[in-house]
Formats: sequence, structure tokens, C-alpha cells
Amino acid sequence: MQVTETLSEGLKRGFTVVVPEPELAAKRETRLAELSKTMQMPGFRPGKVPLSMVRKRYGDAVAAEILEQTVNDASGKLMEERGLRPAMQPKLEITKPGKDSDLEFTLEMEVLPEVAVPDLSDVTLDKPVAAVADEKIDETLSRLAEQRQSFKDVEETRPAAQGERLTVDFIGRIDGDAFEGGTANDVGVTVAGTGFIPGFSEQMEGMSAGETKTITVTFPEDYGAKDLAGKTAEFEVTAKSLAVAEVPAIDDELAKAMGMESLADLRAKVAEQIGRDYEQMGRLKLKRALLDVLAEKADFTAPESLVEAEFAEIWRQVEAERAAGNADPEDAAKDEETLKAEYRAIADRRVRLGLLVAEIGRANNVTVADQELQRAMFNEAMRYGPQAMQVVEFFRKNPQQMERFRGPIFEDKVVDLLLGQVKQNEVSVTPDELAADPEE
Amino acid sequence: MSTVKISQERMYEIVRAPHITEKATLLSEKNQFVFKVASDATKPEIKAAIEGLFKVKVAGVNTLVTKGKTKRFRGRPGVRSDVKKAFVTLAEGESIDFTTGLA
Repeated sequence: MQVTETLSEGLKRGFTVVVPEPELAAKRETRLAELSKTMQMPGFRPGKVPLSMVRKRYGDAVAAEILEQTVNDASGKLMEERGLRPAMQPKLEITKPGKDSDLEFTLEMEVLPEVAVPDLSDVTLDKPVAAVADEKIDETLSRLAEQRQSFKDVEETRPAAQGERLTVDFIGRIDGDAFEGGTANDVGVTVAGTGFIPGFSEQMEGMSAGETKTITVTFPEDYGAKDLAGKTAEFEVTAKSLAVAEVPAIDDELAKAMGMESLADLRAKVAEQIGRDYEQMGRLKLKRALLDVLAEKADFTAPESLVEAEFAEIWRQVEAERAAGNADPEDAAKDEETLKAEYRAIADRRVRLGLLVAEIGRANNVTVADQELQRAMFNEAMRYGPQAMQVVEFFRKNPQQMERFRGPIFEDKVVDLLLGQVKQNEVSVTPDELAADPEE
Repeated sequence: MSTVKISQERMYEIVRAPHITEKATLLSEKNQFVFKVASDATKPEIKAAIEGLFKVKVAGVNTLVTKGKTKRFRGRPGVRSDVKKAFVTLAEGESIDFTTGLA
């Protein structure tokens, strides 16, 4: 096997490989001899067929087989000897098939760049930490209490105030005709509450039980039902009874109703929950900061073919979004060329980051166990609620689909590993700052 | 063996197929080649046909007829066709390559 390097430019490599004919012929003969051992032919006992016959029958097939095998072996050996790691499937072209002459083929590829695992021990990252404020807990508690509110009928007849609930019958008319969905009986309407056409519940303020009033409202332009949008309707509303919302007091009683021991217990649970949310957000920020640092460190050139593939993927999504009519308004002002360049830069960063993360993972023996895939799969299934079992069933039937969980888990593990290496600088921030999107 | 003159057409009619078996392959070392031939072909005819088709010199021809087996098909007796085989000995230095077909 003779190898000539024809191209070595950046990450691109080109080789011409020549395999001498006798080598091929010897391989062919061995293969034919192997075949003749098992070959059956009328007139011959098994394995007694003369080689010349075998050659006539299988010569071409064996030649093709050997050719393929030799090319594979030769390219594999070439990669191994030179320590090449191709970024994508190498492009192979057979220039001389080597039936009677030497076999010659060219191999073109892009290799993965040498990625040095960066030393992160002198990197300090800000880890945003937010304290769980008492007000926040109180807020959550009162929201919880509100969800458990009950209504109590008011015996006396008096005008309804905001926030109180009227039970009403109403008949809706547009131009004097009752329209579909505009009539209902015994509906609980919170005065000045949400959930109805703007102006509807507000105008009920001051009504008392037994009273009848005509309310005129205009449907908003973007109303769900197209034939009603923008129309003006008259509602004949009859109030039947009035009820006052009663929010339960925040005390041990409430805590017990929610399955907790005491109010203190509930507070602790809520605080813990909020703390966990903060922790998660903080981690997300930290991860982003870490990836930014990594992207800076990943100053090698990314293989063009990979960037091109990634870019094509991104661009496809952009096109799809645009076709669906929800293109990024920021992008609308830019022309095609600028956009493409921008997305190409993103693709480049992604590829470099991906390579670096993969390399770090490889250097530190990070692997994703099957159990972790399983767990990720169950988490995914949980999101589908009642259909969870079907989702699990789907993944059981299509094990290759499980593979898509592998990437994110791997990335997470690498990030965890790296976070252990960097210095973390705890910075206290307010919860609002924590929740804010850094991009904006 | 007397010599006969036969037409090209008759030659193709006489030589049915090469008879390729282990035994026939062994015989080729003795410069003998085996053919299935038409059952009405005579030795001089076979000699002429082989010489004419393969452009070789034939030293001698031996023939034999393998009788067809009697077989039953749906209970009725039937007979398979007989096959005449010719063992053709070529003159020294001559040979026939069975792996390449007739032109």
C-alpha cells in the first residue's frame, strides 16, 4: 500500500492510495479457495469443484467484494497510522478499479481539529444566588389561599361591589337577534373580574339580586369567534343572587387542608420550593456563563463541512419559521446576506462548542449510562400526563429514539464536571435579576 | 474411423453440451473431453463436428448411451430420455476450454 498526501490545507486532507495488483490477486485467490470449499454444483461433490469453475461463477462478485474490503481496510489503516479523526464520512473516489492494474483511489476529508482541553482552574464565574425573601413566601401563600377561596351567599339585597360574585342569567343580542353562545343561565360572574368580554363584568357593578339591566359591549377586534369580532352586542342581564368571596386565612387550618402539619411546615415547604427554583435559574445562568467562557477558549477552526451542516439545519428552521409567518422581527430588517452570515457565525460557535464539550467529555471518560437514558425518557413521558404510558411504549418500541436524550445528558454531565473545576464566586442578586433573561 | 463431411448446421445439432463433472475434469488431464451429443450421431460425425466447431484435431471418439430412468408420474409410468455421451480424445497438444462458450 502506497500513500501519497495530495492535500493538506487547514483541516482538509487528501490522499491517493495505491494498492499493487498482486496483493489484490492474492486476496481474490484466497477468497475463491474459501468459497470452493462450500460451493455446490451439479456433477461435483461439495467442495470438489475445480477453482477454474469457481472463478467463472463467482469471479466478478469476489473481485467487487475484495475491492470494497481492500478500500475499507486501506482507508482504515491510513486513518489509524496517521491518527486522523475525520469530521464526517470521508469522500472516496476510485480512480483505477484494479481488475488488471493496480488499485488506486483518492480519499478526501476534513479532520477534527486538535482540541486542547482548556484549563479552567483559574476561571472564576459569578454564580447568582438569591435569598428567598419572606414577602415572596407570603405572596405564594396568599396565592395558594386564593386558589382555595369559597363563596358565601349574601342574604340581604344590596348592590354588588367589585370582586363579589353575581349569579346571573343573560341573553345576548346583536341587532336584536339572539346569537349563538350569547345566552346562558346561572352563570357566576365576578364583578369587574376577568374571563368575559371587556366591559361585561365591569358594568354589573351596583346591581342587586332580582334586578335586570341591559349592558352594551363591543367584542374586541381579535375575538376568537370571527363572526362576532368587532360587533356590538346588547346583553339583558338578570341578577339572581349575590355572593362574597371568602379567602381562607393563612393559618394552621389552611396548612392542614393542604396536607401539611402546620403553617410553619407549609412555609418551609414553600421556601424550599422557591429556593429550588432559584437554584435552577442560577445554575442555568452559570451554565451559560461557562459555555461563554468555553466558546472563548475554543479558538480552533471548526471543520467547514460540520459548520455547513449545522448552518443548513439552522437555516431550515429559520425558513420554516418564516413560512409559518412568525419570523424574528429583529431579522426582518436585515437582508438575506447579513442574516446568513449571522446564522453562520452561530453555527460556527455551536460546532466549536460541541467539539470542545465532546473532547472534554472524552478526556474525562464521561459516559451516559442506559439507566440515565431511561430516567430522561420517563421524565419526558411525564410531561405528556395521561398519555405517559403511550410515550413510554413508543420509546420501548423505538430504542433508537432514546439516543436523542444522550446529547443533553452528556452535555449536562460535562458541565457539572467543569463547574467542579472552576472557581465559583457567589453573587447575591434579587430574584427579579435572577429571572431576567441575560440576552435582553 | 472413416471421415465424413457434415454441414455447419449438423455440427451444432450434434454437440449438445459439455458434460462437466468431477470425472470429466479428471479426464481432461488425459486430453479427453466429454460432451452430450445427439443420440443419432455416429462417431465419425462427432469427430467432424468437434474438429469443425473447436478447431482442434481429434484422435478418437468413444460413445455410450445412458438409458433414461423409468419414472412414475401420477401413477403412470414414463421414461426419461436417453442421453448419448461422447468421450473425445484430442491429439497431443490440443485442448478445449469449457469455461469460455462457443463462438
